[in-house]
Amino acid sequence: LNLNRLEMPKQSPGERRRNFSEVATGYTYEMAMEEASRCIQCKKRNCREGCPVNVDIPDFIRLLQQGNVEGASRVLKAKTSLPGICGRVCPQESQCEHACTLNKKGAPIAIGRLERFIADWERTEGTVTTPEIAPSTGKRVAVVGSGPSGLTVASDLAIRGHAVTMFEALHVAGGVLMYGIPEFRLPKDIVQREVRYVASLGVDIRLDTVIGINYSLDELLNADYHAVYLATGAGLPQFLGVPGENLNMVYSANEFLTRTNLMKAYLHPEYATPVKMGKRVAVIGGGNVAMDSARCAVRLGAREVYVIYRRTRREMPARLEEVENAEEEGIHFHFLCTPTAFISDGRNNVAAMELLRMKLGEPDAGGRRRPVPIPGSEYAMDIDTVVVSLGTSPNPLIASTTPDLETTRRGTVTIDDKGKTSKALVWAGGDIVSGGATVISAMGEGRRAATAMHEYLSR
Amino acid sequence: MFPIVLHEELSPGVHRMSVKAPEVARKCGPGQFVIVIIDEKGERIPFTVSGWDTAAKTVDFVYVEVGKSTRQLAGLKPGDNLAHLVGPLGRAAEIDRFGHVVAVASGYGIAAIVPVLDALRAKGNRVTTILQAPDVERIFGRSALERSSDRLILAAGENGPDMTASATFPLRRLLADHRGSPVDRVIVMGSICLMRIISEMTRPYGVRTMVHLTPLMVDGTGMCGACRLSVDGNNRFACVHGPEFDGHKVTGWDVLMARRCTYSDESVLRQGFQCRGCSQW
Ligand SMILES: Cc1cc2nc3c(=O)[nH]c(=O)nc-3n(C[C@H](O)[C@H](O)[C@H](O)COP(=O)(O)OP(=O)(O)OC[C@H]3O[C@@H](n4cnc5c(N)ncnc54)[C@H](O)[C@@H]3O)c2cc1C
Ligand SMILES: Cc1cc2nc3c(=O)[nH]c(=O)nc-3n(C[C@H](O)[C@H](O)[C@H](O)COP(=O)(O)OP(=O)(O)OC[C@H]3O[C@@H](n4cnc5c(N)ncnc54)[C@H](O)[C@@H]3O)c2cc1C
Ligand code: SF4
Ligand code: SF4
Ligand code: FES
Repeated sequence: LNLNRLEMPKQSPGERRRNFSEVATGYTYEMAMEEASRCIQCKKRNCREGCPVNVDIPDFIRLLQQGNVEGASRVLKAKTSLPGICGRVCPQESQCEHACTLNKKGAPIAIGRLERFIADWERTEGTVTTPEIAPSTGKRVAVVGSGPSGLTVASDLAIRGHAVTMFEALHVAGGVLMYGIPEFRLPKDIVQREVRYVASLGVDIRLDTVIGINYSLDELLNADYHAVYLATGAGLPQFLGVPGENLNMVYSANEFLTRTNLMKAYLHPEYATPVKMGKRVAVIGGGNVAMDSARCAVRLGAREVYVIYRRTRREMPARLEEVENAEEEGIHFHFLCTPTAFISDGRNNVAAMELLRMKLGEPDAGGRRRPVPIPGSEYAMDIDTVVVSLGTSPNPLIASTTPDLETTRRGTVTIDDKGKTSKALVWAGGDIVSGGATVISAMGEGRRAATAMHEYLSR
Repeated sequence: MFPIVLHEELSPGVHRMSVKAPEVARKCGPGQFVIVIIDEKGERIPFTVSGWDTAAKTVDFVYVEVGKSTRQLAGLKPGDNLAHLVGPLGRAAEIDRFGHVVAVASGYGIAAIVPVLDALRAKGNRVTTILQAPDVERIFGRSALERSSDRLILAAGENGPDMTASATFPLRRLLADHRGSPVDRVIVMGSICLMRIISEMTRPYGVRTMVHLTPLMVDGTGMCGACRLSVDGNNRFACVHGPEFDGHKVTGWDVLMARRCTYSDESVLRQGFQCRGCSQW
């Protein structure tokens, strides 16, 4: 049993603090072979069960062990249409790698890194294999939103011979993969390559088109679409609701990340959009969004960056790897505290914040221990920039223009176990249903809905 | 790609652009806006629609050259393309039969308010419009405003008949006559300072005053929260809940103005944009 889990080469913290290039540079061929050789090809496929879309992990690793990268890629792509993306951003430590038999010994196979290697190898060395496209069914499908969920449904249905049009409100396709997750974690070229691949299957991508404005859902259905897939994500930022939260230099993570990533403000003035960054930055929250915001702030020249989280490190929803990266990059973590007010410098710029210390109480419904304020524990911190990264909920635009679409109190769209909404001919999946989850679950829900939609369309 | 079909300079530094955008023209309403991206490295720039033509499938906006992007825009010619244009964004202005509406317009508002006035007049309102400009030379769009109003008052420097330095003077006179000849509604499209001052002027009279707010925006669809402001104590996004708001319910004008100025530099000071009491300078 080889328990030497092979690390991936990374830019050194000092170096990467000053650039937006990818932090981890990926396995070489030799490294991938070495890591793959550790897999013991378990009979009971625990790893496969740990993956939300059940990638046939042992099979692709076996092919890798035989040096057949192309074959490995085919196995991988049977379950995930975006392996280069999943390999980079999946929370493997709580999914496939968590379930890997070798995790009992603390050294799970680096499944994500292998997937990334395969995708990158195919991109640089291999020939891109386009699947065979079924003859035209004459059926037309509208996909709303071009994030991972929409991209998956669009490609799955295009391959099955349906004519797919994908509508995207922004000027670039890719959803959070483009506007949220930073370049240093997921290079935008890789995302755009996947988008081009989807377009190459015949999907008509219509940018700058907001459903709910340019066309309502009913207009789409009355026009000539036989079915619609809703994948508009959860793009509405949440705020703390404390005094001073609208002061200048208090950003929502969505604004901060959109400026930085989608609009490429880190290349300002070559790119026209600016982003203003102070010296002492507080990022409020403990998820992936908070880590991304904090790490962008460092790269944009902030001197000190503090992550403010109301529970402890153990409850942080962010991916472990990214928390470690953030720590290496010199980001400070303040646990068990929450801001109660932001204070102005007298000219409506944020200059300080007041915080309250917390302790952990009883577990909540999700099993995480609830933070409870400690009375009288108020303290203050000088800061000149805040990024509020609390999470998001679905944009109400489509629901509010579609009265017969059932939603929950949280604004998420209700679906059955096949992704069907309450509205005839409309399916949904991804963050608009979950309220914010992962790339792979958004894809998994897309794949499931595409199967159901295909079944319906073939009737 | 969105082809430019017409581009003219209305007065120094003020331009009207007409762009082919069928899906936008189909849905436009008065007071809504579009977001334009000039090229792949461009920023998302909001402009209020000053007109649209569903037959020709075009939308028009009038813009003032203030900074880098608007200067770049000014260099484009008919036949050139805008990389992106999305809209109509925001809610259309509230249109109903109010009675006597007093409109105040300055800057690009002079053009952008025209569709709002036309819609108000089509509903049977009487419209008195006050046009504010720094001086007579810099008046533009006067004839269109004349056509869309029952009465037009110029507030463009002190020289010439009927001319006062600022829109507040004629408005004060109209409000003083309020008992005899009521003002039922005021609508302002201009600089944030002007909208704020006018909201304060009408407050004692209880005349409902609608302002068209223009905080900084990024996406314009409710995703980023950059455009948030406080209305009646609630957080509102100008790009989805506005841009038209009841000026008497806007709280935190100072914060709004400060946020608006995050990215302003000396170029703004030079052009006489600076107002007394502005929190940023
Ligand atoms: C900063 C950040 C970091 C993250 N990090 C990770 C990570 O490391 N690992 C991980 O697994 N997950 C991560 N996530 C979560 C993951 O990105 C999302 O769960 C996933 O992108 C959801 O996919 P989706 O297709 O449902 O929606 P999205 O990716 O949100 O895409 C929705 C698309 O629909 C468009 N749209 C919205 N409304 C309309 C409309 N009315 N008309 C037309 N188009 C519309 C939007 O512009 C957008 O492009 C992160 C999220 C964020 C914000
Ligand atoms: C809903 C809305 C509708 C608008 N309608 C029009 C219009 O019809 N015609 C028009 O000329 N302008 C309009 N604006 C303002 C216009 O978007 C800005 O003038 C433009 O973005 C300036 O870009 P710039 O690169 O040339 O200037 P910059 O160099 O970016 O800035 C120059 C000055 O303009 C201010 N400014 C920058 N961006 C904005 C913005 N988004 N909103 C307000 N001020 C800004 C800056 O604070 C600075 O003072 C509107 C803004 C909004 C939010
Ligand atoms: S898709 Fe994600 S969870 Fe599934 S095997 Fe790949 S990295 Fe693991
Ligand atoms: S559980 Fe781990 S060791 Fe076993 S087959 Fe899967 S990846 Fe290989
Ligand atoms: S501009 Fe982003 S929410 Fe309004």
